[in-house]
Amino acid sequence: MIRFILTRVLRAVITIALVVTFAFVVLRLSGDPATIILGPEAPPDAIAAFRKSWGLDQPVWVQYLDYFAAIFRGDLGVSMRDGRPAFDLVMERIPATLALTLPALMLKLALGIPAGVYAALHQGTAFDRTVMVTAVFGFAIPSFVLALGLVLLFAVTLGWLPSGGRDTVWHALLPIITLGAGGAAALARFTRSAMLEVLGRPYIRTASAKGLPWAAVVRGHALPNAAIPTVTLVGFLVGSLIAGAVVVESVFSWPGVGRLLVVAVANRDLAVVQCILLLVAATMVASNLIVDFLYGVLDPRLRHGAVADA
Amino acid sequence: MIDIYPSTEAPARRLPQIPWFVMLAMGWIGFVLLVALLADVITPFSYTAMDLKYRLVAPFQTFSHPLGTDELGRDVLSRLIVSIRISLLIAFGATIISAVLGTTLGFLAAHFRGFVEQAVLMLADFQAALPFLILALSVLAFFGNSLPLLIGLMGLYGWERYARIARGLAISASAQGYATAITQLGARPTRVYLRHILPNIASTLIVSMTLVFPEVILLESGLSFLGLGVQPPMTSLGNMVGYGRDYITRAAWIMLAPSTVIVLTTLAVSLVGDWLRDKLDPTLG
Repeated sequence: MIRFILTRVLRAVITIALVVTFAFVVLRLSGDPATIILGPEAPPDAIAAFRKSWGLDQPVWVQYLDYFAAIFRGDLGVSMRDGRPAFDLVMERIPATLALTLPALMLKLALGIPAGVYAALHQGTAFDRTVMVTAVFGFAIPSFVLALGLVLLFAVTLGWLPSGGRDTVWHALLPIITLGAGGAAALARFTRSAMLEVLGRPYIRTASAKGLPWAAVVRGHALPNAAIPTVTLVGFLVGSLIAGAVVVESVFSWPGVGRLLVVAVANRDLAVVQCILLLVAATMVASNLIVDFLYGVLDPRLRHGAVADA
Repeated sequence: MIDIYPSTEAPARRLPQIPWFVMLAMGWIGFVLLVALLADVITPFSYTAMDLKYRLVAPFQTFSHPLGTDELGRDVLSRLIVSIRISLLIAFGATIISAVLGTTLGFLAAHFRGFVEQAVLMLADFQAALPFLILALSVLAFFGNSLPLLIGLMGLYGWERYARIARGLAISASAQGYATAITQLGARPTRVYLRHILPNIASTLIVSMTLVFPEVILLESGLSFLGLGVQPPMTSLGNMVGYGRDYITRAAWIMLAPSTVIVLTTLAVSLVGDWLRDKLDPTLG
């Protein structure tokens, strides 16, 4: 178990290092920061001074190490737009994003998992078919189309709900429904197939054959085993709490991280983009790591070291 | 006399039963492909031509603009046709790049094992750690935007899936007799992989392509919707929706037409993909 945890932590650290390297490489490839910031007309001695003050006259590997060091100090650069630290700008936006993505996550879990389990247990029924058709549509309808459809219906035609902004609780309703609906359909489909896979296993037949009531078979044998792949997907959903609302925030003019990212990309505000990139990667890696630990809790084989690398 | 050649006549096969919705989906895909190929011939107007006398004409009002016009008087049908062509071009280009890239990396990992394999797996981990939209947005922020860059960028989407599949299948294929036999006959590794192993795993790769393709369409239209993908004056389906959003109260048809095409196309490709997967390779997730 300890070996399992250590390998996973090591892999997480390597992944983060790769993301930082990616950011560094892309930043360097995108052009000389001196000419980008000072402009192509800048006098050569000003460029030389700039390069010296930012360490750009150093060899690339020294710059690379400095870059790592700066990131671990939490020094993620300054927004080119309003001169404030990029990190502060991003942190300010997080509560607004979580105000959408957390309720949406609850909605996905509350609808998706029970629907998937029920559909698998009643395979071939009308309910099962409805879940499957909804899931296929949930995949095919992009979030911005769903969002605009909801705006067209509830804001433009019926006039019940506001179409954008963040003034009242009602403003959050349409974005949350947009985020939740698509995710719930995907989660239901995934849970259903995980559950069906487990229900086809011999140990389920054995459990029923020894006379266990069906409800106990489902509770004691099917659900815990189906939980393992489902936890992976839920981990992914938790990991995308910060980055998962880029499009929806843009449609509803919601002042969250996603909206900030789109504006920063359009303005090529590199410090902000890079800060969001690192933050999103860190969230994703952290939630994958938690999922790996949860495997250990859910799957006794991992706890006892029977499976070295699942 | 012993007949050493088994009969080459295959047993008479029945045509596979294709469910009606898959037929319908295939029909729609065929229609959309035809529209994309014939775009130059069938567009009634140039997609950039403005007709200021006919601004914001609703659909089915005039004979010349069956799907209406936008606020610059541009014909929505013509723009839709050109958008279909651009969006499909990007999705096809990207899917092929990603399949070639992923399969190559998977084969390399399977052939060299050791360090190369670890490096490929680590890259796949990296890809999985970043939501692709965020990755794409960062690259666009750093490098600006152009159509080749956009296609190349989308071509990075999903490569890790092909790599994983190609690696796993190539490892198990090289343990089988035919690969060993060819190697012992003196074939170079490229020949073994491209002429012998690739055809054997092609069906699985094709199924993966049909599963990745609709995701690329959704991704491209999402980026273009945000105004960060295909740039005006060029147009794509997502681009049209993003532009039509500003007129949602007055002229909802500008965004409804491309939205419908996006939904129907992704729906059709994923229905066919799911059906193919069930037919050819039920082991794919």
